[in-house]
Amino acid sequence: MRYVGLTTIGSVGAVVAGLLVGVTASVTPHLLPTATERTAATFIGVSAAITFGLVGVPLALLVSRRLKIVSEAIKETASNGVPRPLPGGEMLSGVTHRLDRAIHAWADRCSSLSASLRTAELRLSVCEAERQHAEATLHSLHDAVLVTDAFNEVSLANEPAAKLLGFELSESTHRPIDEIIPDQVLRKMIKEVRQSGVLSKQKRIEHSIRGTRLNEANARSDYDVTIACLPDQKQTGVGGVVTILRDITRQKEISEMKSDFVSQASHELRTPLSSINAYIEMLIDAEAQDEASRQEFYQIIKAEADRVSRMIDNMLNISRIEAGIVSAEKSEVDFGKLIHEVLETMQPQARAEDIKLIDRTGPLIYSAQADRDMMFQVVMNLVSNAIKYTPEGGRVTVAVENDDESRSVLVSVSDTGLGIPPDAIDKLFDKFFRIDNYKRIAKGTGLGLNLVKHIVETVHKGSVGVSSEVGMGSRFWFIVPFEFQGG
Amino acid sequence: MSRPPVILVVDDEAHITHVVSLKLSNAGYDVHTAADGEEALEVALSVTPDIIITDLQMPYMNGLELCAKLKERPTTRNLPVILLTARGHALNEEEMKQTNIRQVMSKPFSPRQILDSVEALLKEHKIEDEDSLAA
Repeated sequence: MRYVGLTTIGSVGAVVAGLLVGVTASVTPHLLPTATERTAATFIGVSAAITFGLVGVPLALLVSRRLKIVSEAIKETASNGVPRPLPGGEMLSGVTHRLDRAIHAWADRCSSLSASLRTAELRLSVCEAERQHAEATLHSLHDAVLVTDAFNEVSLANEPAAKLLGFELSESTHRPIDEIIPDQVLRKMIKEVRQSGVLSKQKRIEHSIRGTRLNEANARSDYDVTIACLPDQKQTGVGGVVTILRDITRQKEISEMKSDFVSQASHELRTPLSSINAYIEMLIDAEAQDEASRQEFYQIIKAEADRVSRMIDNMLNISRIEAGIVSAEKSEVDFGKLIHEVLETMQPQARAEDIKLIDRTGPLIYSAQADRDMMFQVVMNLVSNAIKYTPEGGRVTVAVENDDESRSVLVSVSDTGLGIPPDAIDKLFDKFFRIDNYKRIAKGTGLGLNLVKHIVETVHKGSVGVSSEVGMGSRFWFIVPFEFQGG
Repeated sequence: MSRPPVILVVDDEAHITHVVSLKLSNAGYDVHTAADGEEALEVALSVTPDIIITDLQMPYMNGLELCAKLKERPTTRNLPVILLTARGHALNEEEMKQTNIRQVMSKPFSPRQILDSVEALLKEHKIEDEDSLAA
């Protein structure tokens, strides 16, 4: 439009200028010395005006029209982004050709920039999605992760790190590690790894860290700490450090428990095995001097082999329960009936020791959903223990009651036996625990009460307990919910 | 006729004391038994055995405590000890210094092995005594 306007103004200007020269020459004859000169001037002026009018105007109009076409072509190119060939025409062919090339170059550049922009936008959205994904992953980790920059300031951290080290996650960015990590050893390690300047540098240690203000237990926990270097922007130097802390406290406890269990189990098994081995060797060497001695040896070997077998059974049962691979076969267990059966089974043993077994189950129905065989074993173990540690002439009483408030059945086994020293009460349900002074009174595996505890508490979500007074007797009890709560 | 050597067998497992003492009695030794460290100390002071065979883990007083007590007393100071253990115990320097344990035997053990060890230790002990008398 601008080109058309300018051309029009130019054309009109040329006509006006010609006319002005002619008119000026004819209306101001007094400025010229002679009449001939004035006539000539007027003639030239009028001729110029006519010439400008005849040539200038059509030319101006032509140029204007061409420029208009060019202008429209440019407009179209701009709006479509596709260059439109410009109409040539001999007159403007040079100009339009150059313009055409410039427009093509410009259009190419435009479309290339536009493509770059689209790629950049796409990349940005992918990056943003990846960043969010990485951040979500970081925050979903149980391990504590802390990323620090080249100035030992926090650049990224997750909630477990904040909880472990005791800082507010929202206020942690750009805070120096000296302020937010109370553990001196950990701070030192992070700084050392960063200062090493070696990208491949990675440090992995087991380290014990005391709980922080946000950690309720405030006890020391064991961590597997990995500290690794992160590259800087040029990917050549160390730009920061990532510290990952994995809590291995429970893992270590389990590992220690396992090795203790293996050590204790092997120790406990060696004792009856020693007897079996020794008596067999004595029989081979004909050290038993008569048939009665031989029979005694056989009995001992049998009793000790049974002991080994019981120990292995108990160990396997406990291990299975601990590993969570025992499935309870739940049914409605009538505890009154079950107790009666246990007492029947144990009657010969009690009679041999002159111990009276008393059934205090009452006339009501005492039932709960439980694994019957397991419950039988629990009551059996408790009654068997009571008989073992009650002197001749004593009493063992088994009672049961319904506790409607807690919706559970309470079974108790009381005896008039030796009682349990106060310092042994807490350890009584531990694996392989046996009261030293009572070892000579009765043989045992040291696993019976632990199995009772596991069956009642782990499998049936009930509870067990004991109250005792040395010299007066003990009362063991357990509670099992009416409805099965176990897995 | 000289008196038979006296052996004290100490273990809280009755079957173990029974089988070891039977093996040694059959071999002609005068065997005494005790069921824990305290009882063993009393018996050792009264019968002055030539050798003690003791379990490590026992109530009241364990095998190492018993050995340390024996080394403190003049009459039992040189008494050689065979230690029976179910834990595969390896003696440390301190325990070696504080006790007179000459051999550690792991459970399950063989009664024949015990008899062999007793005989070897008595022989050794006799030579040592003769040496000290000669000196």
